[in-house]
Amino acid sequence: MTAPLVPEANGPMRPVQPLAAPPAPPAVELVHAARWYGNVVAVNDVSFTLGAGVTGLLGPNGAGKTTLLHMLAGFLAPSAGTVRVLGRTPHRDPSVYRQIGLVPEREAVYPFLTGLEYVRFNARLQGLPDADGLARAAIVRVGLDDAIDRPIGTYSKGMRQRVKVAGSLVHDPQVLLLDEPFNGMDPRQRIAMMDLLSGLAEAGRTILFSSHILEEVERVGTEILVMVAGRLAASGDYRAIRALMTDRPHTITVRSSDDRRLATALMADPAVFAVELTDAGLSVQTAQLGAFRRLIAGVSRSVGVRLVEVVSADESLESVFDYLVRR
Amino acid sequence: MKDDAGVGSIRAIPEIARVTLRQLLGRRRTLLLVLLAALPVLLALAFRVAGETAIQPFTRRVFDTISITILLPLVAILFGSGAFGAEIDDGTIVYLLAKPLSRWAVVAGKALSAMAVAILLTAASTALAGFIDLVPAGNDGVLATEAQVLAMVVGSVCYVSLFLALSLFTRRALVIGVGYMLVWEGALSIILPGIANLSIRQYALGAASAIYRLPVQEARLSADTAFVLSGVLVVATLAIATWKLMRIELPGDTD
Repeated sequence: MTAPLVPEANGPMRPVQPLAAPPAPPAVELVHAARWYGNVVAVNDVSFTLGAGVTGLLGPNGAGKTTLLHMLAGFLAPSAGTVRVLGRTPHRDPSVYRQIGLVPEREAVYPFLTGLEYVRFNARLQGLPDADGLARAAIVRVGLDDAIDRPIGTYSKGMRQRVKVAGSLVHDPQVLLLDEPFNGMDPRQRIAMMDLLSGLAEAGRTILFSSHILEEVERVGTEILVMVAGRLAASGDYRAIRALMTDRPHTITVRSSDDRRLATALMADPAVFAVELTDAGLSVQTAQLGAFRRLIAGVSRSVGVRLVEVVSADESLESVFDYLVRR
Repeated sequence: MKDDAGVGSIRAIPEIARVTLRQLLGRRRTLLLVLLAALPVLLALAFRVAGETAIQPFTRRVFDTISITILLPLVAILFGSGAFGAEIDDGTIVYLLAKPLSRWAVVAGKALSAMAVAILLTAASTALAGFIDLVPAGNDGVLATEAQVLAMVVGSVCYVSLFLALSLFTRRALVIGVGYMLVWEGALSIILPGIANLSIRQYALGAASAIYRLPVQEARLSADTAFVLSGVLVVATLAIATWKLMRIELPGDTD
């Protein structure tokens, strides 16, 4: 396999997306940016630039994603290095918010305001001329028109996420930063939101969103940045990283009505390279998780064994990211 | 600070004030404060029924023991520290800060709304109680009522400014506020008269003396001094709040 990852820690700084026109500053630029709180390093020597398009910022909880986004949003000054958005330093420069939209991770939105009131409030604080019209349009864009006059306190988690997005894009910002925007959304809402972000990217906007779930990145983020323990562990095309994550060695525990017979049948398949009979069931090792998932159902049916449980033993995100970092 | 957000910022003040108003009024503790504000009115009614409508006993028993000692600081400290405090706690402050607005405008919107509710509660309570019990006592009663209301207005503005600024530095602004109210103004200022220059209650009483010399435990400041010190306090604390808001850092929750 060709190496899809750009080493960031010690290697040369490489733009994630090279810009076509050099004179304009990159939309987002970090140069050896770091941020620590006392002795705790949250973001450690991170460098990258982003142009138009959607980029997913992926990493387990505590990796420094929020700290990084808050530095870009001007809510945190970098302890070292530079952070620039559209060529400007966002910290202590409120006028930069004309061109930045931010969807914070925290769920709280003024519960006593209706969806329309909230988005209109954002539009007015942006000083937009037709606040009401723009607010309504933004609400339609996120598909909340049915709930436009309902207090946000009555919204579901997913609706709250969407109204936050509407509030942050009402002024049509050049750069949109979203912290875990898909949290609490059902699959249908998620797809709609991803389509919205893709549409904005096609219109030339720069979108950076964080997530700790790889599948969320799949649909929108063609480029992803992977953060682990404050460092940029990898950056590149999501498919390559996705393949790395799924094709690593996996251990899967299978319980069935007849473990021994199932073990024999599984060993015949090349996707499986080890099977062990344990008290907890069959411990199966495979290099291709996706292939194995498709395989197990067919194999068990063909030998007449009923599956009781299929559990991936090392599916935790931490282990996935851990694997990525070690590579 | 680079800041080309001037005119838009002024227009944003009423927007921020309106949302803050709904925020402050929608909290459960506001209901408790309304009940507290009703107490002087109920006592005034009781005195009226008992036929005691003289200025001195009313002012001593109701205004001095409840209105200016407990009601005013409690209401104004709660609203002052809550105007930013609640938004910092639940993270909604992000929605205000991620806007192209001068920070003084955000402070102004917050301060004005907190002052408005504090004045509304304390001044209405005092005016109503005065109307019931003092106004029947004649012209002096009217002046005494006006003086008491003025004390509430000046006190509200000062307490709100101070504790709004403090809430940007510590999450314990409310606790500090209650401590200030009980220890500093309650105990120390009686023992050490020099503290009058640093006591908002004395500013309020001093300001009231511009209208009428209330028969309360001595107002130690002249009206002029009280007004000047109040003005200095409000301008200084709101300027500090603006300065702090410009530098405020919001780390994430999880990272």
